[in-house]
Amino acid sequence: MERVGVVLGSREATPLAFWVGVEGEGLLRLDDLVVVEGFHPKVGRVRYFGMVDHVAKVHEGETYDTDTFLAVEGHIPVSLAYVAHVSVTRILPEEFFPPDPGSPVYLAKGEDLELALYYEGMRNQKGTTKLPAGLLKNGEVAYLNLEFLNGVKGGHVNISGISGVAAKTSYATFLLKSLLESGVLEDAHQAKVLLFNVKGEDLFFLDKPNARLTEEAKAEYEALGLPPTPFRSVAFLAPPKKDGYVPDVDTRLEGVRAYHYDLVQFCQRGLLPFLFADRGFMTNLGFLVQHLTEKLRRLAEGQKGPHLLVDDWPREELPEAKAFDALGKVPLRSFADLVRYLEYKLLGPETGEGEGDRSWTARQARGTLEAFVRRLRASVENVAHLIRGDRPGNPPDPLKGEQVHVVDLAKLSPQAQMFVVGSLLKDVFERKERGQYRGRVFIVLDELNKYAPRDEEGPIKDVLLDIAERGRSLGVILIGAEQTASEVERRVVGNAAIRVVGRLDAAEAERPEYRYLPTTFRQRALILPQGWVILHQPEIPVPLLVRFPFPAWATKREEVLEDNSAEALRRELF
Amino acid sequence: MAWRLYALELPQAQDLLPEGPEPEGFWPLEEPWAARRAEALPWPEPLYFLDGKERAEGLLAEGRRLALLGCVAAGAVVYEGGRMRLLPPRVRRVGVGLSEPLRVGELRYEPFPAEGEGVYALQEGLRRARANLEAEVAQELSGGLLVVDGPVRLKRVGPILGYIKTHWARYLPPEKEALLAALAPGERTPLFRIRRKGLELASWYLRLPLPPEGVRPPEAGLLRLETPLDGPYGWLAALSLSLFPALASHPVKDPRAPQNLTPVGGLERELGRRMGSREVVARLLARYLGGG
Repeated sequence: MERVGVVLGSREATPLAFWVGVEGEGLLRLDDLVVVEGFHPKVGRVRYFGMVDHVAKVHEGETYDTDTFLAVEGHIPVSLAYVAHVSVTRILPEEFFPPDPGSPVYLAKGEDLELALYYEGMRNQKGTTKLPAGLLKNGEVAYLNLEFLNGVKGGHVNISGISGVAAKTSYATFLLKSLLESGVLEDAHQAKVLLFNVKGEDLFFLDKPNARLTEEAKAEYEALGLPPTPFRSVAFLAPPKKDGYVPDVDTRLEGVRAYHYDLVQFCQRGLLPFLFADRGFMTNLGFLVQHLTEKLRRLAEGQKGPHLLVDDWPREELPEAKAFDALGKVPLRSFADLVRYLEYKLLGPETGEGEGDRSWTARQARGTLEAFVRRLRASVENVAHLIRGDRPGNPPDPLKGEQVHVVDLAKLSPQAQMFVVGSLLKDVFERKERGQYRGRVFIVLDELNKYAPRDEEGPIKDVLLDIAERGRSLGVILIGAEQTASEVERRVVGNAAIRVVGRLDAAEAERPEYRYLPTTFRQRALILPQGWVILHQPEIPVPLLVRFPFPAWATKREEVLEDNSAEALRRELF
Repeated sequence: MAWRLYALELPQAQDLLPEGPEPEGFWPLEEPWAARRAEALPWPEPLYFLDGKERAEGLLAEGRRLALLGCVAAGAVVYEGGRMRLLPPRVRRVGVGLSEPLRVGELRYEPFPAEGEGVYALQEGLRRARANLEAEVAQELSGGLLVVDGPVRLKRVGPILGYIKTHWARYLPPEKEALLAALAPGERTPLFRIRRKGLELASWYLRLPLPPEGVRPPEAGLLRLETPLDGPYGWLAALSLSLFPALASHPVKDPRAPQNLTPVGGLERELGRRMGSREVVARLLARYLGGG
């Protein structure tokens, strides 16, 4: 054991925190883990494990600040005091009496480190649950208890931090890599991942090796027990371009599938509410939306699609007069048609002040009906290419096929983003609820403050709350990220067992949402360098500052390591 | 009969005693009698500063016999390689007038003989104990130049320089004393010879800078130095002009500025610290020896 100093007697030593005087060549830095031995004749030997959360140096023997000049010039003798404050993480056995001043302090390594960070308790009857979560500053591996991530004891991860310093998305993908390939999650082969790509196209190269991966980074992956390889089984889904069916992406040209819904799916799955993110503002409108969702569901019952057939739309209003079928039904071939149909059902024929169909209007005042139609009409521009009636729908299905599904939202309008996120989450959650898929589902969603804002109500927030509160027992785990946790619904953040903080804005760091971080960590969150995050998990009373390796997968087009071998070319050609 | 605590505090005023008899006569070593300056000289290395400290901690009585418990400390700082470094100080607890060691809690007082009776003899004994300890520390300092606080009393192989901060004795005839008031900071008087207890010494006065100038009596900032006459006194006199003004303390920080040199001030503070808390010692004494 490496002795670094002694417990100070000039400052109070308590069972939960004490000061250490660093001696001689000793080195104690923030986040270093130490162990101290105490003894009392009635209790016996007690060991205190702790983490350094404050270090300071001061000249002893200086009375005035200007004495430093004299000391530097060599005119007065001073001694250098090097002290560190230690927060105790654990006492073994649990006898809460203070350590004696003067007790030697050792660096915690190996077995002591495991004890200090409760690693030895991270196991269940089937084996270890130590999930590699990054590297500590001293190079040792930091672990998360998997049972707090996979839903056994807790679930969900919340990542916050300002954007642009490579923390949120990078750490989320690193965590996925660890979950899927470290071998700690025993049913990893069954696990599915739904990743929403909210900006740029940086998640579109998860399956390509990163050309900038250095040898050191590879060694770090090795230390973590992870292969330095890209993700193996990834599906890329992007919305179609507004005219046509080609996926709307710029950087990645192959292997991306376009996704969209057809009208029948739209109706059958009850997706209408997800077009109205601000439903809560008008309770009448909310009621009407619910009612219409149900009407549309009944209307689409038994239909095959892609177009929706209706039998009560007068012939003369039809844009394409030829489109009658044998049963006298009219097909709706686009979202715009559906909107016009609903307008007709709610407000009556365009000519004159007619009345709508009573069974559709649900006795709502005309003002409400008009407001609804106005909103619906406004959404045509946003979602018409996602909800179409001219070819069979192909919505993303993260529970089938590849292990990781990247769903692109970047180019969609906010309303369309809401629609896609809401309908996908609802779909996945409902199928898990019905027990249609056995494996775990990890959902990565950035910009949680948009989907589950603190102050507003909305259908997506309902789904997210449902996932946050009931998801872990169903095996649906949310890995949510946002710039500011203070703007996200408290219950969504509060249900996350694991919290990760990247670089924070100074004002944000003072919000009560970050009170679980000790002051020094909140201060440090302001200056976190790239590739570092603060990790908090329920079992360890102090957060850990961890570094995670450079992504082994490309995060943009330029980073893709081109495979120009003959084999690869042959595969591409044939 | 056992020792009982008689008093914790001793009468003050012993510090105000003059240092020995009046000098006889005046023998100048340099001509003419005028202020002198010198070129800056490099400091010799190692350069030692020696100082001691004494503290009376309690007066004990056993019947009519008295004993003085005290703590003495001595230490040195050394200037070497551009740094001022503290050498391990020595601290000793002595009982002047005790015939055998006395244990008070964790403290142990070693007996030290007293010459004569009464409190003043005991205090003088404590001063001797400190002087002995200083001599002990000085013995271990080899090479270089040794600067001691107070008159030169030690014998030493290498050069030794004593500096006196308060001037009880008058060494100069009245007509020569006028030069002291005229000395500018960084100037010294010519050398003169003094004799004390069989020692032949060379001595001179030196003016330290004392900002702000001109608001203090003319003796302020005046330092008298002395060194054995058989040593390199000419070089030391020149060196003292580059050494002492640079080490003078600032009146804002030290009430004894500028004569209390900064390294010695630091050393004294450190010695005081090693002697332990006065209050804690007093409580220990009261607890183990009080209440008789």
